[in-house]
Amino acid sequence: MRHGDRAKETASRRALVVIEWLGMLVVLCGAIGPLLLLAISSIAHSWFWPALLPGEWSGRAWSYVLAPVAGVGEALVTSLLIAVLVALAALSMAWPAGRLVAQRDFPGKRALLFLLLLPVLAPPLASTMGMHALFLRYGLADTLLGVVLAHLVPSVPYATMVLTGSFSRFESGLEEQARTLGASRFRVWRDVTIPAIRPGLAVAGAFAFLISWSQYLSTLIIGGGRVQTLPLSLVAFQRSGDEPIAAALSLLFLAPAVLLLLGVGRLMITVNGKDGQ
Amino acid sequence: MNKRLGGRRGGRLVALLTAMIVVLTGLACRRAEESGPSRVEIDPSQLSSREWPELERRARGTTVNYAMWAGDEARNRYFRGPFADELRQRYGIELRIVPLGDVAEAVNKLLNEKGAGKTRGGSIDMIWINGENFGTARQGGVLWGPFADALPHIGRYADEARQRDFGTPIEGYEAPWQRAQFVMAWDTGRMAAPPADIPGLIEWIRANPGRFTYPAPPDFTGSVFLRHLLYHFGGGPEKFQQGFDEELYQRTADQVFALLRELRPALWRRGETYPANPRDADRLFVNREIDLTMSYGPAFASERIARGEYPATVRTFVFTSGTIGNYNYLAIPFNAANPTGALVVINHLMGVESLLDQSRRLGITFPLDPARLSAAERDLVAALPRGPATLTTEELASHLLPEPAVRYLERLERDWRERVLQP
Repeated sequence: MRHGDRAKETASRRALVVIEWLGMLVVLCGAIGPLLLLAISSIAHSWFWPALLPGEWSGRAWSYVLAPVAGVGEALVTSLLIAVLVALAALSMAWPAGRLVAQRDFPGKRALLFLLLLPVLAPPLASTMGMHALFLRYGLADTLLGVVLAHLVPSVPYATMVLTGSFSRFESGLEEQARTLGASRFRVWRDVTIPAIRPGLAVAGAFAFLISWSQYLSTLIIGGGRVQTLPLSLVAFQRSGDEPIAAALSLLFLAPAVLLLLGVGRLMITVNGKDGQ
Repeated sequence: MNKRLGGRRGGRLVALLTAMIVVLTGLACRRAEESGPSRVEIDPSQLSSREWPELERRARGTTVNYAMWAGDEARNRYFRGPFADELRQRYGIELRIVPLGDVAEAVNKLLNEKGAGKTRGGSIDMIWINGENFGTARQGGVLWGPFADALPHIGRYADEARQRDFGTPIEGYEAPWQRAQFVMAWDTGRMAAPPADIPGLIEWIRANPGRFTYPAPPDFTGSVFLRHLLYHFGGGPEKFQQGFDEELYQRTADQVFALLRELRPALWRRGETYPANPRDADRLFVNREIDLTMSYGPAFASERIARGEYPATVRTFVFTSGTIGNYNYLAIPFNAANPTGALVVINHLMGVESLLDQSRRLGITFPLDPARLSAAERDLVAALPRGPATLTTEELASHLLPEPAVRYLERLERDWRERVLQP
């Protein structure tokens, strides 16, 4: 009897493990399936229904995308440069804003919060057109700096939200204690504030980076075709229906984002682990 | 211990961030400055009197920013590669491509710039344009000119290429370049012969329910399909060339939409949905869901065969009553920084020699009027390589119909939505 119970128990536990792994498999398929499809279509030559796999393979798309004549390398560098600048600028704006909202009470705080989040709600086309008119006047249209400023509009609200969360959990008394113990302002900043909000900084920075990385409309309008980022080439080929090249560009487009997520994930886990000690 | 480790990391982070901000801001500013092209201005009214060699001399050493649709690998390779080299060697001109996903983007940009008073030093010197975009640009007054009739190479184009672009008078504000013509494609592996003309096509659709569809207007290709029906019921293209006759339109469009409604149950998915663009229609064709597909590019099927997107057995055809074609053009924006250089590049692109090269490398339809070519040039055109699915230049030219005035096109597109898609 007891033996039977134990057998039943192990059986149900085994079933549970199988279900867990099946679930994991579904998630993995969902995550990897589309990537695999992109990889295949980037090297497919003739892929006719009802064949499951392409009849012939070809390196045409990759040899074009990687050729200097395609300008993809330049677009990649431009995209990276813009996204990194946007992430840094967004952090430096979101830091004081997030701290203020999280740690101080003042009349009109709700209104201020609403204003901070307003750029997320406003239709991007309308705000970008308005910005373009303004930027034309100040010579910022068709420049990289102008594009960075345009990307900041949707990035800063998200960064601010994340850092508000970090600062609301941050015990600012720690800073005072460190000061009392004789640490300089810089040292407090470096050894107390930054380590405490580092996960928030990483997430907010990654958010801003990814928002900038995937911008199409604002780059197009403010950059005026002179600032070429990866999404611009990607959209041109998606519209023209050249699937292998669109697929190859999509994979290139995904790569930095995936690397960034892995990096940020690692940083967060290390920090959490340390907190636990 | 941990605390110190964290502290050191923090310090390094701060140093790294500071260094990055300094370096990247520097880079950003430098790149922003780079975008100022050399400025060579010229008055269009003095163009005809100016000697061309003098113009070419002045254009030497300048940069021309060419805004073009960039969704085609062969074109991107050609214009950034061999063509740019040719310009550099021959004219000392540096060609810079401003890639566009859609030409309307550039027209909107110019309209914005005009609104903001940016009348000089624009970032585009020449633009590949036609039809509605040209109409919008002319209406907004954002094109430089008139210049086209002063170009040495314009004389080789047929007169109609210089008169109207979808009904909009050209008046020298764009120069003809390449030619497009509607063709349909079928797969000889599936079907022996395609329908010969519009009545034949209608019969074929009725006899083969579910095997035909067209991209939903206002898609450009779906829209030109409607225009063929307009000509079919309106007795040919002549009446639709100028202005807009409401009564004529109503009478003809009633027949067009009555037919399309009647055919709906015989279309792919019973006409309840339509492919959004030719690319989606192509996919249906390749997946054997439909048996006919259509395009504005006479060489499209050959290109797709070469890329492995179509089986090698696909061929193209035109209706015996003809198919609609148009020219596409090159124009110069009102605020171009270097119109002189643009004039030299545009004229070069329109020359027999360059057009032969473009035909060989890009498979474009040779656009010049055969009657204005020498016997030797005609031989060169006849000897041009042609893709397996592409019709000959003569076949295409002898079946060419002009576009109607743009108002007919706009009304057809708008009314299709109300009268066919959701009646």
